[in-house]
Amino acid sequence: MNMNKINLALLPLIAVLATGCGGDDGDNGATGPAGTAGVDGTNGSDGTNGNNGTNGNLAVFTVQLTNLTYGQPFSSAAVVLHEPGFNTFIDGEIASLGLEKLAEGGDPTELMSEALAATQYLDAVTTPGATAPRSIGVMSTLLVPLLDIDDLRISFTTMLVDTNDGFTGLNAANISNMTVGQTISFMAPTWDAGTEANTETASTMPGPAASAAGGGGASAGFDTTRDDLFDLVHFHRGVVTSANASDGSKEGLSTSILTEADRWDNPTARIVVTRTR
Amino acid sequence: MKLIKAASAIALACSSSVLMAQTIDIQITNLTHAQHFTPRLVIAHDNTVDAFEPGVEATSALAWLAEAGVIDDAQNPASSGQNFEALLGPTDTDNTSNTWHRIDGLSAPSTTENYSFDTMDKSHLSILAMLIPTNDAFAGLDSIKIPTTPGTYTYMVNAYDAGTELNDELNSMRTDIVEQGGTPLGGYGAPGVAGAGASPVPLGVGGMGVAAKVGFAQDGTAIGANEVVDGTDGPVHIHRNVLGDTSLTDGASDLQSTEHRWLNPVARVTITIPAP
Repeated sequence: MNMNKINLALLPLIAVLATGCGGDDGDNGATGPAGTAGVDGTNGSDGTNGNNGTNGNLAVFTVQLTNLTYGQPFSSAAVVLHEPGFNTFIDGEIASLGLEKLAEGGDPTELMSEALAATQYLDAVTTPGATAPRSIGVMSTLLVPLLDIDDLRISFTTMLVDTNDGFTGLNAANISNMTVGQTISFMAPTWDAGTEANTETASTMPGPAASAAGGGGASAGFDTTRDDLFDLVHFHRGVVTSANASDGSKEGLSTSILTEADRWDNPTARIVVTRTR
Repeated sequence: MKLIKAASAIALACSSSVLMAQTIDIQITNLTHAQHFTPRLVIAHDNTVDAFEPGVEATSALAWLAEAGVIDDAQNPASSGQNFEALLGPTDTDNTSNTWHRIDGLSAPSTTENYSFDTMDKSHLSILAMLIPTNDAFAGLDSIKIPTTPGTYTYMVNAYDAGTELNDELNSMRTDIVEQGGTPLGGYGAPGVAGAGASPVPLGVGGMGVAAKVGFAQDGTAIGANEVVDGTDGPVHIHRNVLGDTSLTDGASDLQSTEHRWLNPVARVTITIPAP
């Protein structure tokens, strides 16, 4: 308490000291001449290098098909890279129109449109033309943003053209997190689209076997009628063919224009995926 | 934590390099109903060796194996210079790019065998054996990468067609028909299915041929009435299965459709990498 009183008593004196020089102010003097310019500073040190770029932020994949069959040419294939959630087909469910057109007529156009419309779509190509039996096909190249390779799927669909609605390929196979240079090889079985009865006649199949028997071509391929036992995608049971149709066993299908050479066993396709960048 | 991780990584790297030189156990099961396997060719190799490749023409070595079950000179001197021994080098030896062994004897349908195999530091494994009775079918394990982590690994093996002979399905024991030009049936380079003697069910006679027909060339023109052409149907591809028929005296095939057919896989190979 005493201290406070003393401090208060000193205040007027401090006020006087603070203004002590203010009593007799003269005018300010004139502005002096400008000083000489300072010497230049030394150059700054170089900045650190920036991070390397990411090659346009794209990973590059090549996809190559081997037709493992003895006598079934494969149609032009739809090759789609996509995120999980998209399927070109699901076993036990009804085939899309795109799958029906590919599996009956060998035309991947509609299936490509369906893939393009999917929100999971990343990139897709069709292989140029047919892949002959017992041969290694043309390599396709696809691009995917690097951000998407951690959860990546491939769907590959191609028709066995000397069948009513048989196809082979990959159904949303997982190719996530592949490293540059890594290769994954898939062996693929054969499905029946379930969209057409397997009559094995010249007027219902698009391939060369049907052409040789007076049918074949696009008109013999796709038909909007769905007349299989169940309109559901399932594993293919193979072709019966006309072999042994006229002997005592009657094992063959006499109305089939296919021969024993058109038969196959699984796997029918090998698909090799390589990440090149 | 970082130190521990680094230490275990070093330990793993060391142990795996040691493991590669170790002997691995190979178990082969014949999954077919009525197809024997001829002696099994087991090859450990680097990436410069490829015993077969789908879509690529077969070598003469593969033709000898797939048509006659022959791997080396000891089995058949006539194959000398053309067989896998000529292609790979001496058996049970480190041939730099490979080491190989012939597991002798026939492997009967639905049976399993075990073999201890020194991989001699090679990175890949292939196993081949002919299916008899067929023209040129073989079971092929196609250059799998030998695992380095101890454990048991299973591979399903498909049947391929070497493509070096048409699948006429004609019994090689028959003398009523011959190759075009007069050569008896059987063996590499001559038509006919090998292995009639090994089949658990009898082969027929009197078949008129499946992919090649007795008395006709491939284009359908007539040849000698008791002759069959020796054509090829390559490159290597997945075998479409034998056709067979139900007659032992006529029909197309001398094989039996109810017995000799198969569906892939035809073999199971289980590899055990032992603990260090």
